Amino acid sequence: MTTKPTATRPRGDGAAALAFLTPSILTFLVFVLAPTVGVLILSFFDWNLLSDGTFAGLDNFQRLFTDERLLGVYGSTTYMALVILAVNVVLGLLLAVLLETGMPRWIRAFFRLSFLFPFVVSASAVALIWRFLLNKDLGLVNYLLGLTGLDRIDWLGSSTWAPISVIMVNSWKTIGFSILVYIAGLQSIPKQLREAAIVDGAGAWTRFWRITFPLLSPTIFFLVVINTINSFQIFAEPRVLTQGGPGDSSRTIVEYLYDRAFGDFDLGYASAIGITFALVLVVLTAIQFWFSRRWTHYQ
Amino acid sequence: MTSRLTVGHVAARVLTFVILVVAAVAITAPFLWIFRGALSGSDAELYRLPPTFHAENLTLGNFGKVTEQVPYFRFFLNSIIVSGTVTIAQLITCSTAAYAFARLRFRGKGVLFAVVIGSLMIPIQVTIVPLFLVMSKIGMTNSLWALIFPGIFSAFGIFLLRQHFMALPYELEEAAKIDGASRFHTFARVIIPLSGPSIATLGILCFTYWWNDLLLPLVMISDTEKQTLPVGLVLLAGRFSTGSLGTIAAGIAMAIVPVLIVFIAAQRYIVQSIASSGLKL
Repeated sequence: MTTKPTATRPRGDGAAALAFLTPSILTFLVFVLAPTVGVLILSFFDWNLLSDGTFAGLDNFQRLFTDERLLGVYGSTTYMALVILAVNVVLGLLLAVLLETGMPRWIRAFFRLSFLFPFVVSASAVALIWRFLLNKDLGLVNYLLGLTGLDRIDWLGSSTWAPISVIMVNSWKTIGFSILVYIAGLQSIPKQLREAAIVDGAGAWTRFWRITFPLLSPTIFFLVVINTINSFQIFAEPRVLTQGGPGDSSRTIVEYLYDRAFGDFDLGYASAIGITFALVLVVLTAIQFWFSRRWTHYQ
Repeated sequence: MTSRLTVGHVAARVLTFVILVVAAVAITAPFLWIFRGALSGSDAELYRLPPTFHAENLTLGNFGKVTEQVPYFRFFLNSIIVSGTVTIAQLITCSTAAYAFARLRFRGKGVLFAVVIGSLMIPIQVTIVPLFLVMSKIGMTNSLWALIFPGIFSAFGIFLLRQHFMALPYELEEAAKIDGASRFHTFARVIIPLSGPSIATLGILCFTYWWNDLLLPLVMISDTEKQTLPVGLVLLAGRFSTGSLGTIAAGIAMAIVPVLIVFIAAQRYIVQSIASSGLKL
């Protein structure tokens, strides 16, 4: 007896699938997979732009361990990325919660739009504006500090303040994105839960920590992942604001890789740096997913 | 519930409002400052402290000087061509691939999808060096193609649209199938029309990303004429020592105003797009 073919062996859509996937597969092969394999191969070569490469074995990887600047740059990248992450996740949540506290609609809409606007402006325009505002002698920021009686700060020229400037400018640009995602998360929490808690006599503080915060954990997790990846990849802000300096105090790993590759034309070593960066991203993502299993509550 | 308006509540309301106003001023003031600076007749006026809107010699002359110093409209056009083409191409490749992953049955689907998701962790910054070599081997460096092709494949886009397609009810497609519609017809006439908001989300995020990108044009393009706006602004500002600051401010303002207009016109879409990007994953 023959059963109906659809019941045992689902009709495959191989041909259709191939047609639908071809544009993606082609662009993936040429512009993602080939360069990824390329990074692995290049990292074993001594390669500059003028002559084709010579095999260098593990030289480039050995250099990673002796390059003191690399460690410093990873340090400053991590410092800036973590603070930007924290500002986005914590301050973003605070502002989103405040925005959702019974403000008239049009006022809310106005705040939301003004917070979001820098996100759509190019990072190089944003950094150029702040280069004016953070100017040590003539900038508006130091003028305002002066009004409150504080000393001028050398925002872009001191190794303490330069990374802080990058942090401020990037957070200023990106926080609107986090606020908006938080608002969407807050609005998806069922009203009845909060109302029930009010009836039970729970105060605002208790309601936030017992209801809002746990139900918001998938949103928080999403923002942590997105902001981690984005903030480790910063390039434009330090490039335009401080050129990574003074020293390497505000240099990010992407900037360092860019300089080795297209400043020194040391393509092999730059590729080895690229591999370390990919590994960092993989490890960070893995850690985050591991954490999320433990404390993210899904409704 | 009506009698709960105590002094504490009022104070909390006022404090909330004050914090939000301070944040909104901190975010918008720099833009107002640069717009005002673009109208300054002299560097001294641009840097006048405290800044005032009133001035003896407000001028529109800086805008003309921008186009004298750099091929500004060329930058602008290049940026539109690159971001627009990447966005359209990405919407096509991502939606078709997402449909295959969401609805079609074929061998190797799981592996292929895992590869797509895995590639999320290899951003363009990692592969930029070989990408440059690939482009120069096929003779595309120093052309806008070098900025378009690397952006077309998007694992994020495929993932986003797949999630959305999977949430659409099957019945609609079954009806089309019974009517004898081909797979492509079903995709183009049933799935796509139902996916406006998701496609808008991806389109807006994609356009914004490539409109703002600084790294790829810096690496790929050497002719000034072929640069995009973000690099163009840096080139303009590179003349900090020689040019007037008002001209630089005018260049920045000219880059921001069109974005501001589109932003206000499409605010509802943009706000919804970004707000929902977190809910869809």
